[in-house]
Amino acid sequence: MPDMSLLLAVFAPVIAGLATMLLPKSAVTARVLTMLAGPLASAGIVLAWIAQYGLEAGPVAIPFAPSLNMSLAMNVDQLGGFFALLVSVIGALIVLYARGYFGRDEESLWRFYPTLGLFATAMLGVVLADSFLGMFLFWELTSVSSFLLIGWYREDPKSLKLALQALCTTGMGGLVLLGGLMTLGAATGEWSFSALSAPISQMPGVDAGLLTVAFFLMFIGGAAKSAQWPLHFWLPGAMAAPTPVSAYLHSATMVKAGVYLFARLYPTMRELEWWTPTLVFFGATTMLIGGYLALRSDGLKRIFAYTTVSQLGLLTCAYGIGGTNYAHDDHTIANIIWPITQILNHAVYKAPLFIIAGAIIHLTHQTNLSQLKGLWRTHRHLALIGILAAYAMAGLPLTLSFTAKEAFLYQIAHALKTTPLFWGVMVMAVLTAICNVAIFVRITRTFFADAGAAEHHRDTERADAHHEIHEHGFWASCIWWPAAAILAVQFLGGIVPSAFEAIFGSLETHKLYWDHLPSLIYAITHPELPLYMSGLAIAGGLALGFSDLLRRPIEDVHNALFPATYGSTESFGHSVFARLQNGNLRFYTVATLSALLIGVFAAMWFGDGSMLKWPSIAPLSYAPVPYILAGVLLTVLICASALILPLVQIRAVRVLVLGSCGFAVMGMYLVYQAPDLALTQMMFEIISVVLFMLALRLLPEEPKKHPRIPAMPRAVFASLVGCVMAWVVLHAGSVADQSAIAAYEQSQKETELAGIGYGTVLAAAPESGDDHGHTEAKLVASDSTRLGGWFLNNSYKGTTPDSGGRGGGGDNVVNVILVDFRGYDTVGEITVLAITLMGVLALLGAVPAPRDLAEGNPTLINGPQPHLRSVLLRTAMKLILPVSLLFAGYIFFKGHNEPGGGFIAGLIASVGLAAYRMSEGGQALQRLIPLTPGAMGAIGLLIALATGLIPMLMGMPFFTSGQGYIPLPGADAPFHWTSVMFFDLGVFIVVIAVSVGMINRFEEELE
Amino acid sequence: MTLLLGICVAVIFAVSVYLMLSRELKSVAMGVFLFSHAAHLGILAMSGQPVLPGGVVKGAPVLGTSPNGIHVDPLPQALILTSIVISFAIMAFLLTLLVTTFRTTRTLNVDRLSEEDRPESMSHSVSREVTA
Repeated sequence: MPDMSLLLAVFAPVIAGLATMLLPKSAVTARVLTMLAGPLASAGIVLAWIAQYGLEAGPVAIPFAPSLNMSLAMNVDQLGGFFALLVSVIGALIVLYARGYFGRDEESLWRFYPTLGLFATAMLGVVLADSFLGMFLFWELTSVSSFLLIGWYREDPKSLKLALQALCTTGMGGLVLLGGLMTLGAATGEWSFSALSAPISQMPGVDAGLLTVAFFLMFIGGAAKSAQWPLHFWLPGAMAAPTPVSAYLHSATMVKAGVYLFARLYPTMRELEWWTPTLVFFGATTMLIGGYLALRSDGLKRIFAYTTVSQLGLLTCAYGIGGTNYAHDDHTIANIIWPITQILNHAVYKAPLFIIAGAIIHLTHQTNLSQLKGLWRTHRHLALIGILAAYAMAGLPLTLSFTAKEAFLYQIAHALKTTPLFWGVMVMAVLTAICNVAIFVRITRTFFADAGAAEHHRDTERADAHHEIHEHGFWASCIWWPAAAILAVQFLGGIVPSAFEAIFGSLETHKLYWDHLPSLIYAITHPELPLYMSGLAIAGGLALGFSDLLRRPIEDVHNALFPATYGSTESFGHSVFARLQNGNLRFYTVATLSALLIGVFAAMWFGDGSMLKWPSIAPLSYAPVPYILAGVLLTVLICASALILPLVQIRAVRVLVLGSCGFAVMGMYLVYQAPDLALTQMMFEIISVVLFMLALRLLPEEPKKHPRIPAMPRAVFASLVGCVMAWVVLHAGSVADQSAIAAYEQSQKETELAGIGYGTVLAAAPESGDDHGHTEAKLVASDSTRLGGWFLNNSYKGTTPDSGGRGGGGDNVVNVILVDFRGYDTVGEITVLAITLMGVLALLGAVPAPRDLAEGNPTLINGPQPHLRSVLLRTAMKLILPVSLLFAGYIFFKGHNEPGGGFIAGLIASVGLAAYRMSEGGQALQRLIPLTPGAMGAIGLLIALATGLIPMLMGMPFFTSGQGYIPLPGADAPFHWTSVMFFDLGVFIVVIAVSVGMINRFEEELE
Repeated sequence: MTLLLGICVAVIFAVSVYLMLSRELKSVAMGVFLFSHAAHLGILAMSGQPVLPGGVVKGAPVLGTSPNGIHVDPLPQALILTSIVISFAIMAFLLTLLVTTFRTTRTLNVDRLSEEDRPESMSHSVSREVTA
């Protein structure tokens, strides 16, 4: 039993979320506390795990669908452990914040917590899963839960549209990621992250080409999730969600999943040729575009969304630069500095910013920055925390953010030594920093501004009045203090770096040659290029912030990207649909059959050429003359009746011609030694003809002259289909013919070698197998390489080794296949029959004949009225019904060993009952069988299923058959019973129910 | 023998396709019915010719009945038996659809059905009838 505690850590939030649903809606405080337990339990378990096993313990294997290369293996290493703690701790704070944000809104909290729990579980799964496919499952789950949360306001069509946009973008990205993970698995032969070794390209047996493909696919997947240009548009759109969601999913955790993926792959894939160019190009572009668009936005949440995009670009870029090497002293090392701290840094200033933004919007009902002048006067604590968080965002001194920006600039500075192209990245980084500083300046200026304060005050009073409805005290203050708690980490890292390192240092993956952070003091005491660049950025940002340059808000051109793609896909789909699904039956027929023809022609053309030659079927001349005569005669009959069919105009005659074709086919079955088929075909042909006749009388006569479709193209196409199908059939038949002849000749040769004639062996073979007088003729000189040979050999008694000594206990192999070997199929088949019966009854019941059709059209009711029924028929029926039922019983019981069985017996009984129904009327039939057809069908199905289920109760597999002998008093041989007889009884009843039920229903329509 | 089956399959398929392309739904139904015959004979051909060199005739797949101990392949027969039953069900359902289609739309003309009654409007009229 593997250690399941990590699995519990992953699933704790969703369990807590579901548990909150059990609480009464009014129990708000209990709900908050229950939900809080989820992420706290996750954090606790992960911490306890690290304390006990450390960060190098390797994955815990939890098998799950191993045949799909998948497992639920969980791994707590530095990266996974860091993210798990980030997700669970911020998650716990968001639970409290949501309480402040939604107030006592019971409905919202009732919906919100389970969804939040689902997301937290998904995210924990992403970062802790070790198996590729396990991670992918959780990855997609984050997209789904994010969709649910963005579309929170279900009545607002705009928010639903944005939710769909996010789901499509990240979901499609997820599918590309799946392709990447599969390719990676195929390239390396490994299916878990911990099994990859660094560098991956030097693992044994790795295909470099496949690896590059895998890298690009995974990059696209990660870029879509982490909002990299040009797929970043969904993230600002996701701000339609309630602010707790924005703070949690769309700034601190989910959008980092892509960065997490890059971080996860970084140690093993950083040496790939494309790693650095791809990540740096897209990362740096995203960084600059995000910063610029944030500067040109006015909506508070929108500004922060674009700075998130920008920061995600920076993180991607940092991992990209990490692909370069840096020569330090006498050795080269990977050029990446404190990447985990970079990620943490963003989370601990962006989450507070969103929390404060949500609080401001909630309390003032203003969403735009320009409307928030004078906030300092009315909501001093919100303004203060907001300004401090914006200060951290700008990367100004004494914050962790400053240190992180220094680290990033150091990375660029090191990379400059490899190629001067990185000067471009340096310029972009400084420009982005200028934007961030300018945003900070503008926020601060707005909050302290005087203009419009009076007007604003009125608004806030109204808003305060609105807030009065809720409450004050601890729960209300939850709307701002989590921000302060998270923000504290920023200033701890900036002011007391040593304390920060003591707490978080063990989770850092790449500390490089520093044993400490490049903090403010270090930067000032070691003035290098990064410090000058920081100074330049701060000066530029201050200047820009106080100027009116680049102030007017602009629209992001990328916003048109998704609607345009979606719209064109949709209109393309519409046009294809309109063309293909045009409602014309003949078009469908021609299209389907043309596809078939093309497929066959392609197989002939691209195959091994054997399909182009005349098939080597067994020559007709083998057969004795009577056989040949019968075959030729039947062929002529079949072809003639088929060809006459389109020429006949009278509908009754057409049905009879159709019937004659069926009877000729029955004859062909006899020639081919298929007595079961022949019997079944005959009975079904009778019932079909009757049904056809009944149905045609419910339909109108053909109009005397209707415009004819030109016959020639139709005939040519039809002939082409016929010839191609016949060609395929001949080739299929030739395979069977050849293998049967080869097997026969082989067996003859063997018997000749043994010195005895073929016939002698077979005559000698029958052995008296059991004590019940049953002679077995088990030696079957059939081609044993074919599946049919296996059935022949095991039908009565298991004779081949793989049968386990169990046979079907019957001589009629076709029947044994149907009720025993392939009993499952037959259950499905009689279920289809019963469903068809229900369909017929329901349709005819739902669409009754319109009155004018029933009365006005004599052709519809020209059937014999009850008083016209033939006396002769009625007299004959009195005799025929008992005889047919008796015969059905006989066929039923002998069916297991001779031609017959439940199907045929049911049909024989049906024919008798149908004739009885037609001569005596529905009431007489009802007196005879008091059950409705539906009930009868259900009983039959239940009997058949029970036969399969009873062995299960006895601990054997479904449909295990049993058999035995019952001595019959006065009979020579005991009665041989098998359990499948009960199954056959079910089949028997279903067949009667369906065929008699249908004929009865059609008759009722006519009356 | 296999050749004879091939001829039957060719003719029945051709006639069935010809009927399925006609304008009248009743003929289409007959085409569908014929189609199953052709398919069955095609499957039957896969059991191989029932006569071996030297005029040896294989027995039916019922053990103990063949004089020479050789049987035809039972598997295609089991498949065809299943298929006969299913095609009966399909035919019955098809005929019911024909009847209800005629009652709802007053026509069995394929072209007129495709012009007037797109799937949406059809389902509307049926559901109207159901509720009424």
